[in-house]
Amino acid sequence: MAGRLEPHLEALGRELRPPDPAVLSVLLALLAVAITLLIWRFVQGRRSSRKAVLLLGLCDAGKTLLFARLLTGKYRDTQTSITDSSAVYRVSNDKSANVTLIDLPGHESLRLQFLERFKAAARAIVFVVDSVAFQREVKDVAEFLYQVLVDSTVLKNAPALLIACNKQDVTMAKSAKLIQQQLEKELNTLRVTRSAAPTSLDGSATGGPTQLGKKGKDFDFSQLPMKVEFVECSARGSKGEEGDADFEGLEKWLAKIA
Amino acid sequence: MLDFFTIFSKGGLVLWCFQGVRGPAAAATAPVNALIRSVLLQERGGNNSFTHEALTLKYKLDNQFELVFVVGFQKILTLTYVDKLIDDVHKEFRDKYRNEFQQKGTLGLLNGTFDFKDDFMRLLRDAEESSKVRPPTVMKTFEQSLKSQKTVKCMIETRGEKPKEKVKNKKNKGSKKEGTEAVAAPGKASVGDKQPSTAGDREELTKDEILQKNREEFFKRHMKAGEKSSKSPKPEAQKEKGKKPRVWDLGNSNAKVLDYSNSATNGSTEACPVEEFDPDTALGDRNREPGRLYDLEYESDDEAEEEKVIQNPSKPSTKKGGLGGMFGMLKGLVGSKSLTREDMDPVLEKMKDHLIAKNVAAEIAVQLCESVAKKLEGKVMGTFTTVTSTVKQALQEALVQILQPQRRVDVLRDVMDAQRHRRPYVVTFCGVNGVGKSTNLAKISFWLIENGFSVLIAACDTFRAGAVEQLRTHTRRLNALHPPESHGGRTMVQLYEKGYGKDAAGIAMEAISYARNQGFDVVLVDTAGRMQDNAPLMTALAKLIAVNAPDLVLFVGEALVGNEAVDQLVKFNKALADHSMAQTPRLIDGIVLTKFDTIDDKVGAAISMTYITSKPIVFVGTGQTYCDLRSLNAKAVVAALMKA
Repeated sequence: MAGRLEPHLEALGRELRPPDPAVLSVLLALLAVAITLLIWRFVQGRRSSRKAVLLLGLCDAGKTLLFARLLTGKYRDTQTSITDSSAVYRVSNDKSANVTLIDLPGHESLRLQFLERFKAAARAIVFVVDSVAFQREVKDVAEFLYQVLVDSTVLKNAPALLIACNKQDVTMAKSAKLIQQQLEKELNTLRVTRSAAPTSLDGSATGGPTQLGKKGKDFDFSQLPMKVEFVECSARGSKGEEGDADFEGLEKWLAKIA
Repeated sequence: MLDFFTIFSKGGLVLWCFQGVRGPAAAATAPVNALIRSVLLQERGGNNSFTHEALTLKYKLDNQFELVFVVGFQKILTLTYVDKLIDDVHKEFRDKYRNEFQQKGTLGLLNGTFDFKDDFMRLLRDAEESSKVRPPTVMKTFEQSLKSQKTVKCMIETRGEKPKEKVKNKKNKGSKKEGTEAVAAPGKASVGDKQPSTAGDREELTKDEILQKNREEFFKRHMKAGEKSSKSPKPEAQKEKGKKPRVWDLGNSNAKVLDYSNSATNGSTEACPVEEFDPDTALGDRNREPGRLYDLEYESDDEAEEEKVIQNPSKPSTKKGGLGGMFGMLKGLVGSKSLTREDMDPVLEKMKDHLIAKNVAAEIAVQLCESVAKKLEGKVMGTFTTVTSTVKQALQEALVQILQPQRRVDVLRDVMDAQRHRRPYVVTFCGVNGVGKSTNLAKISFWLIENGFSVLIAACDTFRAGAVEQLRTHTRRLNALHPPESHGGRTMVQLYEKGYGKDAAGIAMEAISYARNQGFDVVLVDTAGRMQDNAPLMTALAKLIAVNAPDLVLFVGEALVGNEAVDQLVKFNKALADHSMAQTPRLIDGIVLTKFDTIDDKVGAAISMTYITSKPIVFVGTGQTYCDLRSLNAKAVVAALMKA
């Protein structure tokens, strides 16, 4: 038996020991490529880990103008955005800290797609609300906010949330306190209706098994796992297009986050 | 002539704007926003023009640097130079500010000043001049024309010359022409005789002489047929001899003469000539088993042969292109390559066929692929991406975009609102025959009862036999499932019916006022199924909806429908819009997609319906029990659609 095995072993050894140089070089090359790809992916991941501040909100809330004002201080005409724009924002009191501001489109057919793409990288979220049209749009605002809040990635990372009540330069704008109360009431109702909606086609419930806030008690923003603040601002500014924007509260908050 | 010309980035920043003839600066934003929302975001980007109120907007996308160029002008004008102008401006702008776009990115867009006015004015002037309408050509005076230089002599034509020319040109055409040739020869001779005599004094030929001459030519030409013509005077002469009474063949004869049937054949078998009955030819295959039904036989051999034939010529070409193709593929994988229309066309063709195979309506698949092509043209692909993957990715995003609802889809929230105002929430179901309106109405009422709302079902289907009984059975079952004791003593479901044959709109109105008096939360109105081409029934439906002003008009469509979906929805919407008196007519607010369990992954009907109406799919029906009600998950549907 052993005698029979030995010539086999010898043959094997002969085959393995002087390997074809071509085969060896190809194997080494493939290994090198694999290692390079791994390193590249690792570096990419490192670079984009959670340094982004997302600007979310409904259509016409003023996100793109706020984005332009924060980065350049100048007033720009804007149209409805169809893709995202991102740029690095240096905090003003030169702490040498910088965050990446990402302005996402607010249109209904695009907002969830872009949220999916950028939510993992979000360190903080600025939810821009149009204070003038708020009474009319309260249900839509609440629904989008609800969708953002029950998202599993958002709940896991718990990025800081700032609700910026924009367009305060107009006289009919609602105050931040009023907006907070209305949103809390609306989200309270939404918790119930969304979780009662028919289940989705592939089995995942639309409202998610996650319950927003505490059961049994009325919804309050303090029940959320992340820090929520309300701030009033005006991207256009009280002096119109030539003057500066009024958003010290926003800038201070960004400085805190960075 | 232009109202405005804007250049803005896809991220929303306006880079440059030109205000044309009139209007304040803000007048440009509203139409452009409407353009973006209705065309670009709804994937209707196939043709590049769009009308908004009094303006026509034309646009062009630059997918490499993410820019949009929009020009607006009055709808009543037809400016021919606009397309060329947009292309020229696009090229100039891109070349001039290429650095800003490439190097500085978004900050470049924000900080850069785009001083484009002079270039634009120059391009506009060039375009306008190139398309200027030339003054209409002045008519030449008589002296200038060639006609005055001809003599009268050469202008008068003789008949002899014409057939001569014809014969010369068409000598080989056949016996008839030969005949004319033969005829023309003597004709020519005679005319030739006459010609020298009349050459000098054409003007003096009188009318009669010309007529006579023409008659002679005519008769000579038709000499062969002239025999007939000679015959024709003869029968005329004969007929005029005396009037003879007409004899009708069948007039005075009696029935016996008219009976041509063989009197012995009907009923008796011997009179039929006995055919040679060959059982083999009649039965065909002798080897079949008596009584068995065979399957259809495929002719698969022929198909295989055809495929082989097609493959063979393609093989040598692939061999030749092998090496070159490999290098091209590698080059395409690494480095930046911008997409051209030619690259995308084969892939888009394949995707279009794939979508049609998945039951998307054909015209919608075409429009979708066009729109995706427009969005991707000129885009720079990243490394390690192929054309196929880019196109697939773009198509997937477009499909998800279409399926996302454009407005809130939360029926419970709206019902709660109506509850607070102490009025019932009215939902109307409409659709063609047999799609599942009554079944899904029962499912939705079950869902509402589970959430604690009381429901009144209005049986406005007064036509179909058994419709009212069907709803009564559902009501009984639902009340058995949710008895009044478990809901504080009130009946959760009740049926409001007035039998058959009555006016549906009247029943609906009575049902709503009954619900308001009794304090029901929701009224579900079931209407009769009707074909979209049936004008009187569509009018009746439109009247029901216009008179009762329901809160939600749901169109029920089955997932099995293919290209019909487009026709149904368009005609339903049109009927509702035409017969409504209001300024903003009530159209279909949402879609219920039924029989979703019968299709495996051919889910294209969802795309067709949402694309046509841009209204969301509110519910999906997946079976016939009360729990088979789902809401749409856009990502799952698109995944099923794109699966190979």
